[in-house]
Amino acid sequence: MSTAESTTSPNPGLWDRIGTVFTVRPLTVGLALFWVWVLARWTTDFVLAGVSGFDRGTPFIPAAPFLTTADAVASLATPLGAAGAPLVWVADTLRFTADATAYLPALAHGIWTTILLTVFSVCLGFTLALPLSVVRVYGGRWARWLALSYTELIRGTPLLAQLFVLYFATSLTQVLRGVPGVGVGFVPAQAFWVAVISFTLNSAAYQSEYLRASLESVDGGQLTAARAIGLSKLEGIRYVVVPQGLRLALPSWTNELVYLIKYSSLASFITVQELYGRTSTIANETYQYTELFVLVAILYLALVVSASALMDRVESHAATAGVGHTRQ
Amino acid sequence: MTQPLLSIDDLHKSYGSEEVLEGVGLEMDQGDVTVLIGPSGSGKSTLLRCVNRLTEINSGRIALDGQDVTGAETDVNELRKQVGMVFQDFNLFAHLTALENVTLGPKKVLGMDAADAEAAGRNHLEQVGLLEQADSYPAELSGGQKQRVGIARALAMDPELLLFDEPTSALDPELVGEVVEVMRDLADEGITMLVVSHEMDFARSAASDIVFLDDGEIVEHGPPEQLFQNPTADRTEQFLSRLHAHEETA
Amino acid sequence: MAAILLQAADWLFVIDNMGLLLGGTVVTIALTVASILLGFVVGFPAGAIEVYGSDRARRVVEQIGVVLRGTPLLVIIMILYFGLSISSSAFVTATIALGLRSAAYQSQIFRGALQSVDDGQLEAARAVAMSRFEAIRHVVVPQALRRSVPGFQNEFTIVLKDTSIAIVIGIGELLTTGQNLYEGGQSTAALEIFLAVSLVYFVLTFATNRSLDRLSDYYAVPEGTT
Repeated sequence: MSTAESTTSPNPGLWDRIGTVFTVRPLTVGLALFWVWVLARWTTDFVLAGVSGFDRGTPFIPAAPFLTTADAVASLATPLGAAGAPLVWVADTLRFTADATAYLPALAHGIWTTILLTVFSVCLGFTLALPLSVVRVYGGRWARWLALSYTELIRGTPLLAQLFVLYFATSLTQVLRGVPGVGVGFVPAQAFWVAVISFTLNSAAYQSEYLRASLESVDGGQLTAARAIGLSKLEGIRYVVVPQGLRLALPSWTNELVYLIKYSSLASFITVQELYGRTSTIANETYQYTELFVLVAILYLALVVSASALMDRVESHAATAGVGHTRQ
Repeated sequence: MTQPLLSIDDLHKSYGSEEVLEGVGLEMDQGDVTVLIGPSGSGKSTLLRCVNRLTEINSGRIALDGQDVTGAETDVNELRKQVGMVFQDFNLFAHLTALENVTLGPKKVLGMDAADAEAAGRNHLEQVGLLEQADSYPAELSGGQKQRVGIARALAMDPELLLFDEPTSALDPELVGEVVEVMRDLADEGITMLVVSHEMDFARSAASDIVFLDDGEIVEHGPPEQLFQNPTADRTEQFLSRLHAHEETA
Repeated sequence: MAAILLQAADWLFVIDNMGLLLGGTVVTIALTVASILLGFVVGFPAGAIEVYGSDRARRVVEQIGVVLRGTPLLVIIMILYFGLSISSSAFVTATIALGLRSAAYQSQIFRGALQSVDDGQLEAARAVAMSRFEAIRHVVVPQALRRSVPGFQNEFTIVLKDTSIAIVIGIGELLTTGQNLYEGGQSTAALEIFLAVSLVYFVLTFATNRSLDRLSDYYAVPEGTT
């Protein structure tokens, strides 16, 4: 008689919901256009510009049509007086669009840096997080205590403070500047790497918490069974517990990825010209704060929504019957 | 003849294309104890839930004390003050003690002041033999105790009619007795009860009427002796023999 | 390296400026509390709308939530302060930015908690003649609030840490105070200053978690299966 209670996935499915909120077509089309533009921009500026006669950063979209339309709309608005306010707004938006055509190549470059920061930090963070979490669950008393102290200290302090410690208070920058290749050609300069190190250390702490929870939720009988077929404890962890735990932890990576996409904007405080940094540089020159920051908010949303859509794909691909995220 | 307390006439209810109740009619007088039996999916619980409008009907008429129950202008909350309900899964308010479970309705709905509600609540808990557990939370009670609190909670509203939706089917067998005993006491006190239950013990000893419902229709309706000893319909007989077989193996 | 940087003179500098750092700490706490309160006042009804609201209301609330959760706090602050100029006070602007963003997350916490309360609870409350609103208010909400404590705890520490981002509009909170001491004071003391600042944040998050644990124990109700 009574209907079964809806079961919730281990993660409350925050980003699943984006799917349900925005399954509408316009968003899919918008995202597709966004990525076509981004990829075209990168190809022209990073690959073709060096090879043939392409100019780096030349706008794809001409500004002139927007300006003429803006003038036409504005001239319609003038005789209307106060009633023409909506038209004035349209004209202003069109004028900003004309300006934006010149900013967009720089923003595409910023998106590249933001993605690099995020991907490097998540991946490097994972390589630290996995041993940390295994130590948290299976380690001896002292090892466990050390791992716990690390995660609690990182999670208990602001990312920005950690960034400042590494950037202003250590000689990491000078050390990195001395590393051959840093800042040469495609390799970003030292501030970028300070940010990567800082985000990696931070992300490792958060990821190890997700992993720990997942490892702990793998049934204890699994390790016992692994030992029973003659695997060592480490082998049992490696071949039986971790593969299951990783699948269980997948939904948390969506959160971690989204977190880093947004919080990588803090790298702008240490001069890294990622998406936010570039926007803020342009805004300080042009004073078009509202328009530019609304534009960059939309770009961040596009990145965040893309990341969660991508992770949804990964999750359904990685799900095996009974283990991990199964869709309701 | 005086007016019946509850009268149900040509009741239809369907979920989507599935018709659950296909023209059910039933009358109950003050003090009647009517037990609804029938296979699962026969519409017993739905019928019960239509009476206090936890489920809305498609067509037909339900009247309580001559007042239309299902009309659009009927205040459901006024109706539910007169019709108490005891649930299969108890549904005790998890954040409140046994006593608070019993007094919440009187305080918030009937506007009783706290002291009066508490005194009355203690009486009702005593009536179901649980005065000592007044300050326990639901998680600290056994299933049988939970259901007795559920009954006290319904009694506290001083209803004219009590609905029981399979009150013992979520209980371990050894806990059924204490709940049935409380229900039998209520029947003896003359409280009008409409009960969905396969507890034959209760049906035989306390019911004034047995109604056999199958496929959304009332197949047979009569006093317990007649319906259990000499069922007129084949379907009733088949169902009863299955039920007996089950009782013996259990 | 550490031996050179962790010098006694630099620690003395930090200790000398304890008063300033304490002032920054007070601003950080005030900003956190104000933002969490704003987040609650907006986020709780938003979560309730997501569970009980009409389709249209729910859609609107969800979409605003997605935008607020998908945008970096830095961008939200900049739009509100330099773009829309909603207030000339940096403190007020930061409170609104942090508060609205927190509301978007708090709504998710409360939505989950409200949904986790068994439907039978609402039904039983309706059966004792409570109106839908009364049933939600007296039966569902008290249980949901208790269940949202762990999520709320997490959110509290996130807001506390993220007040540091208000440095971008120059509020005299803790990290800004540290930055000023470093830039305007003794640059050799950078490590000492930022470690001291981090320590204060750590103590604050730790203390917050512990007190919310206490609060949660105090209001705890034995909860079994209902």
